[in-house]
Amino acid sequence: MRVAVCAPQVPFVRGGAELMADDLVTALQTRGHDAELVTIPFKWYPGTRVLDQAFLWRLVDLTESDGRPIDLVIATKFPAYCVRHPNKVAWVLHQFRQAYDYDRTDLGQFSESPEDRATRRAIERLDSVALGEARRVFATSRNVADRLQKHNGIEAEVLPHPPQSLPYREAEPEGFVLSVNRLDRAKRIDLLIEAVKRDPSLRVVITGEGPDRDRLERLAAGLNGQVRFAGRVADDELADLYARSLAVFYAPIDEDFGMVPYEAFLSGKPVVTAHDAGGPLEVVRDRETGVVVAPEAAAVAEACAYLAAHVDEAKAWGRAGRAIAERVTWDACVDALLS
Amino acid sequence: MKVAYYSPLPPSRSGIADYSALLLPALRERVDVVLARPRARPPAADVALYHIGNEPDAHAWIADALHARPGVVVLHEYVLHHLVAGMTIGRGKGRAYLDAMERDLGVAGRLLGLGVLDNLLPLLWETQPERFPLSGVVLDDARGVIVHSHYVGERARAAGYDGRLWRVPHPVWPMHDVEPAQDVAGDPLIGCFGFLNMNKRIPQLLEAFGSFRRDRPGARLLLVGAAGERFDVGRRLERLGLTEGVDRLDYVPEERMWSLMAACDVLVNLRYPTMGETSGSVIRGLSLGKPLVVSDVGWFAELPDDAVLKVPVDECEVDVIAAALAVAADHGPVLGDAARAYVEREHELGRVADGYVAALEVAAGGDAVDDAVLWRIAEAAAEAGVDDTAALARAARESGIVS
Repeated sequence: MRVAVCAPQVPFVRGGAELMADDLVTALQTRGHDAELVTIPFKWYPGTRVLDQAFLWRLVDLTESDGRPIDLVIATKFPAYCVRHPNKVAWVLHQFRQAYDYDRTDLGQFSESPEDRATRRAIERLDSVALGEARRVFATSRNVADRLQKHNGIEAEVLPHPPQSLPYREAEPEGFVLSVNRLDRAKRIDLLIEAVKRDPSLRVVITGEGPDRDRLERLAAGLNGQVRFAGRVADDELADLYARSLAVFYAPIDEDFGMVPYEAFLSGKPVVTAHDAGGPLEVVRDRETGVVVAPEAAAVAEACAYLAAHVDEAKAWGRAGRAIAERVTWDACVDALLS
Repeated sequence: MKVAYYSPLPPSRSGIADYSALLLPALRERVDVVLARPRARPPAADVALYHIGNEPDAHAWIADALHARPGVVVLHEYVLHHLVAGMTIGRGKGRAYLDAMERDLGVAGRLLGLGVLDNLLPLLWETQPERFPLSGVVLDDARGVIVHSHYVGERARAAGYDGRLWRVPHPVWPMHDVEPAQDVAGDPLIGCFGFLNMNKRIPQLLEAFGSFRRDRPGARLLLVGAAGERFDVGRRLERLGLTEGVDRLDYVPEERMWSLMAACDVLVNLRYPTMGETSGSVIRGLSLGKPLVVSDVGWFAELPDDAVLKVPVDECEVDVIAAALAVAADHGPVLGDAARAYVEREHELGRVADGYVAALEVAAGGDAVDDAVLWRIAEAAAEAGVDDTAALARAARESGIVS
């Protein structure tokens, strides 16, 4: 089968969504399909520009390529799922959240001006058309599926995807808590740094890059090496950090899905998250596969201290998580997407 | 966003005044609303919302304001002949009436209008308004139209309206404890609420009730509402021998109406011809979980089949009403549960207010967004030598990118 995997690209930015699209192409190719990634740069500002970018996808003709038909299009996120194709499957990582749950919050983009309000409505309308015409709609988490239902009245099937392929392994914990994330405000890594300030015995390693790095480094100044910023790390090093960590901190605000808990689980580590983290809560269960706390530094510090003092429990919760993560496979995903 | 809100309001005794009294608090939680008043300076706002109904006394000033400053029209009913007649003939502007007739019906309409002005024809808004709705003059001024039913939306489209159109259901009143009235009774008690006239099929209802009561002598019919001119309910009851089985009440206050409805076992709300209106009375009945018998026309026909019993308007109408009364009386709880579930799902006040906000936001800023996007598409196309920008615009519209 010839399959075009459609995903937008933000030049010079690479994160979970890009990894997922690449892995999907590889998974399809591995199973004997002729799969290719199709992408268009995405810039969502200022003002109504976001609609122009969506329109670009609308003009793309993927019914065939080089004289041969393309049998299936799988689109992963806004605005790629605006592409037209008679056999379109949407596997939604997320919508343009600035138009939905981020609207009128610090993470929003649209002001109260009539033009901005109408732009937001145009995105809502566009999503309803683009996803409404898909043959099937999957969401990577219940959280994303619920948003589709709430905002657009679209029923989506929940289909989580496996995390990136790393040389996962387990090792004895060395006492530090690991953060794996893009450094931006919505990921709330400042909660972990503030937790460090409350517990001099707590050590953390923060991987990743992003626009919030300067602020986070300032916040961590004077903590005597308790916080290490590792930047973007290679796959082997990341797997090693996972393996040697005590636990993994992952508490973004209402995250769509979140691959990190799966990666932590495959390394046998529990996850510390927050009540309002969204998608991660579908697999991180309090005192079963990690610790779920209020989104407050004191609660995070307390959770980390508990895990440090109860290493056997931490290991058991990590192993329970591993059983969950191992059930999410590319075989199951590809079967569902092609069925 | 600031919305200038034009509507009759209580104490005006109109269904649309009740409607606005219900909607306004929920709307005010979402947008800044400033109320417009008759004969006052129009309020400054990002968009104006005009509630239009067929009653000239309540709506002529609103239609005037709409004409002066086009905005979003809430078309509560499709037939506006009475309104237009009031705004034209009623103001001594016969030529404007002829223009309105010609606008919708061509030269034949103008000639019919002349017949009305010269007293050669009966007053069309009283005799057959459904054939001459005259909503075109209002639609011409609309920058967007909100309707409550597919029926009215389709009629507006059929009349040539091609602007923005949204369907926002009639809101349901928040549920509160209603004590059933103790001074009315029947086995079963059938209730019919609202203005009593030929359009409400009262003659057919009375005849059907007479037949129904022969099998169920304990049954009583409660008619609540003022009777129309030239509609003598008492004489009809005498002729049908129903004076013992029917109770009549004139206009009752809101709380009393709820209480009377709650006391009924079955509610009836028939209609033909329809002017495309919704019925607040039906919405109230559904929310009380009462089995309802309605006519199978217009908005009423769009109600779910498991929640109401629909009576076709044909030669079997009276027999079917009688049969429907029996079914409704015997299966009240099943129908009532479905009715309540339906209004809670589709007519919930917050959801309705959200629908209004969505429409108003597009009406207020949609043109600017469309212009910006289409301009850049056209500009890029022109620079690249593509001259079929109309096709590009069509693609943008089909996808919902522009409205």
